Amino acid sequence: MLLGAAALSPSIVHAATSWADTERAARGQTVYFNGWAGSERINAYLQWAAGELQRDFGVKLQHVKISDAADVVKRVRAEKQAGRQATEGTVDLIWINGENFAAMKRDALLSAPFAQTLPNFQWVDTAGKPTTLVDFSVPTDGLESPWGMAQLTFFADAKRLPQLPQSMAELLALARSQPGRITYPRPPNFHGTTFIKQALIEHAPDVKALAQPVTAAALEAQAAPLWRFLDALHLHLWRGGKQFPNNSAAVRQMMADGELLLALTFNPNEAANEIAAKRLSATVQSWQFAKGTIGNTHFVAIPYNAPSKAGAQVVANFLLSSAAQARKADIDVWGDPTVLDVARLPAADRARFQSAPHAGQVRQSAPALSEPHASWVDALEKEWTRRYGV
Amino acid sequence: MPVVKVFGPLLLALIAALPIGAALWAVGAQMLHAAAWQALWADPQTWRAWGMTLWTGLASTALAWITVAHVLASGFIRQQLGRWLSHLPALLATPHAAMAIGLVLWLSPSGWALRLVSPGLTGFDAPPPWFTTQDPWGLGLILALWLKEVPFLLWVAATQMQREDLRRRWQAEYALAQTLGRTPAQAFAQIIWPQLAPRLRWPLLAVLAYGLTVVDMALIIGPASPPTLAVLAWQWLSDADLLTQSQGVAAAGWLTGTVLVAGVLMVVALRVVASKRPFASRGKRPQSQASDRDGLLSQKTPTWLLHFCRRLPPQPNAMWTIILTAYIAVWSALTVGSVSGVWPFPQVWPELWTLNAWQQVASSAHTVWTTLGLGVASASVCVLWSVAWLELTPRRWQQALQPWFLLPLVLPSVLWVVGLYSLALHTRLEGQWLGLSLAHAVMVLPYVLLALVPAYQAVDPRQAALVASLGHGRSVYMWRVKWPLLQRAIASAWAVGFAVSVAQYLPTLYVGAGRFATVTTEAVTLAAGAQRSLMSAYAALQMLLPIAAFALAAWLGRPRRFEKIAPMKATS
Repeated sequence: MLLGAAALSPSIVHAATSWADTERAARGQTVYFNGWAGSERINAYLQWAAGELQRDFGVKLQHVKISDAADVVKRVRAEKQAGRQATEGTVDLIWINGENFAAMKRDALLSAPFAQTLPNFQWVDTAGKPTTLVDFSVPTDGLESPWGMAQLTFFADAKRLPQLPQSMAELLALARSQPGRITYPRPPNFHGTTFIKQALIEHAPDVKALAQPVTAAALEAQAAPLWRFLDALHLHLWRGGKQFPNNSAAVRQMMADGELLLALTFNPNEAANEIAAKRLSATVQSWQFAKGTIGNTHFVAIPYNAPSKAGAQVVANFLLSSAAQARKADIDVWGDPTVLDVARLPAADRARFQSAPHAGQVRQSAPALSEPHASWVDALEKEWTRRYGV
Repeated sequence: MPVVKVFGPLLLALIAALPIGAALWAVGAQMLHAAAWQALWADPQTWRAWGMTLWTGLASTALAWITVAHVLASGFIRQQLGRWLSHLPALLATPHAAMAIGLVLWLSPSGWALRLVSPGLTGFDAPPPWFTTQDPWGLGLILALWLKEVPFLLWVAATQMQREDLRRRWQAEYALAQTLGRTPAQAFAQIIWPQLAPRLRWPLLAVLAYGLTVVDMALIIGPASPPTLAVLAWQWLSDADLLTQSQGVAAAGWLTGTVLVAGVLMVVALRVVASKRPFASRGKRPQSQASDRDGLLSQKTPTWLLHFCRRLPPQPNAMWTIILTAYIAVWSALTVGSVSGVWPFPQVWPELWTLNAWQQVASSAHTVWTTLGLGVASASVCVLWSVAWLELTPRRWQQALQPWFLLPLVLPSVLWVVGLYSLALHTRLEGQWLGLSLAHAVMVLPYVLLALVPAYQAVDPRQAALVASLGHGRSVYMWRVKWPLLQRAIASAWAVGFAVSVAQYLPTLYVGAGRFATVTTEAVTLAAGAQRSLMSAYAALQMLLPIAAFALAAWLGRPRRFEKIAPMKATS
């Protein structure tokens, strides 16, 4: 009980009467949270959150398991086209970022801004982690609340790959020396697209242009060196670069089997997780390129027609609490890095974030590079497909 | 009285035809975007993907057809068909995705096949850069489709061969043909096959349609650069961008057109092949017309089948053995895969074993109940509707409307999802139990109908007269004679319907608004995170439910007459 009170103390101190109203309205509501469910750890974490929310706030959290957030965007859009009003939807909260968020924001599929009104938002590290406010160069405008951090991370078995490449150029050199042992998922798979974006950032003549919406001229000017790089790289990739795996999980499996030298992920703790689950050998290690890799934030957002808007806000606020964030960051639970500024937290809350190092963890974290503007995704994917997809 | 007689069938027809028509209407309306079609034609992947679709779909269908003819011929002649086909339920219950996953576990460069001989025979200590899965020629996909479609066609053939009337007639004709000097092989090829083949036309169309439009199998084992058009359509449909989505709808429409044209061509081709008369042209037309009720002995026989039948090997049918072995191999790969941890090449067995995956499966046991509920509800509704339809409506209506009800079988599932979902949105049934079970029912109906129609056609109308002449009413005939005779067919139709419901992924996700988790939605969402062990474990679970349903059906359908399909040797 005391611990619970300590966790809630910031929210109590700063709670405006309106937040108390929200909590009151939320009691008894069911929140349908549509979230990617490809990982049993994530699902188990959400089950834990459901228990806490039920006990402390009387909110029933229902995890709607999906395989692709774009499906949910599509569903909400179809509901809008079918004339559904403000409380007549099927989705209360959605796990989202990037182009899916950009699409929902553009088409006005989201409810009123709410993120900054959440009592726990004050602890978010908006200065140190600017991507908590700008999602793929699109301002969030309070339409989504940050949940966790992600950064492009590579992992490999040290037994097979003692010398870790530290840039795309070094990766190309490695591919030349060991042909057929490297690949990346086929875009538009988002890990594959991220790999392309990382190469783009490392090769673009003017990185600042990537923060602006894409134009035909900008694509031509900025991406020309990227295509030259990929032309060279593909010759030495797995299956001659004529074929690409469907997703990062397939890459990971092939790495684990020894068919590939390295795999990639957005969760810096994924390899540590997999080692703990006995699916990767303990000699696997994770790293990020020395000059940095693409990083972003994932969020939760409330659709315009969510029936349980108050409940959804209570859930979003709970997910930002130090208790929930610390548990999520724990490698034995999920290992998803926190969006909070841990140094600014009260001592008791700060203590929750300390944990022993795990095998396979990133030892030396590198700077997080900003995502290009969300509009680049589609343009890059189309051009990639035209060049290499057929 | 006449009003009731028309009204009842009309109502039944409307109940089933309306959702199908409305779903088609809804998706048709979405197809009228010129920009979407332009985007489809402008896309550099479209034509090659379409070519890959045609190749894999047509090749797998042709192979399955030839194999089925071969297996039926040698099984029938050796009188072993009943014994062989007793394995069918387990084969039918193996989900398509599980088959693909299992094959990949064997065939991939790091698969079991190579591990068994490495490094000893091959010298490989790392998997070789071979294109053995997701091969650019689509061979893996063709293999997987072939393995799944042969049991389906055999099962439909069995529903025909178990018809009491056909079974007796065919045995008599088969025996007679031999007394007229035909070898058993010739007798089968000339007498039985020409009567059986036309009855398999609809199922064969379904196989063709499935091969041309399959998504889940093609994702796992199909070519990737480019993938088949159905996979592309599905990827486009699930894109966040609106234009790309309509491009997906257009692609699904194009696929539908492809299926329809290919279907018509296939039916024509079957006729042409059948019209070649190797025996007649050599003047070997039989003298006796005694058994020649339908001009049978002069019937058309495909040359290739005769060729097959003449060269039957003396040992049990090799083809059937290959298929059974493949299934057993796939099941064992899934079993080992489901408890495997770290498993580097070239080790034959995993380095670490773990029950993680099965613990995970156990913790989502509630999905089993949802799956059961949906399967039981939709299969039961479809069986009830089909029985009512076959009892109450005139034969003429049945024949006229049957193609309409079988549409869900031949149109791409991506298309149905768009239509059914749009329908559910407009009727406010999305995310509701009722809407979801109805959507399942639409997908289940054609299979149940396919399974029941032959049995109904086999009912001897004289029985009714006989019962009436004994002074009993219609209800006595129904409850004491007709339905008990149909019990086995009804039970097996129900089990097939249940299995079809269990396998539904896209309709469950969309019409259920994601709120109903079934073992299949769990399996597919977890496959997005692709852990070998978890995928294998869920594939196994996905298989267990339909197997249970088939076992239940077999038990309900006792006594089985399966063993007697094989003809008696001409002893009588």
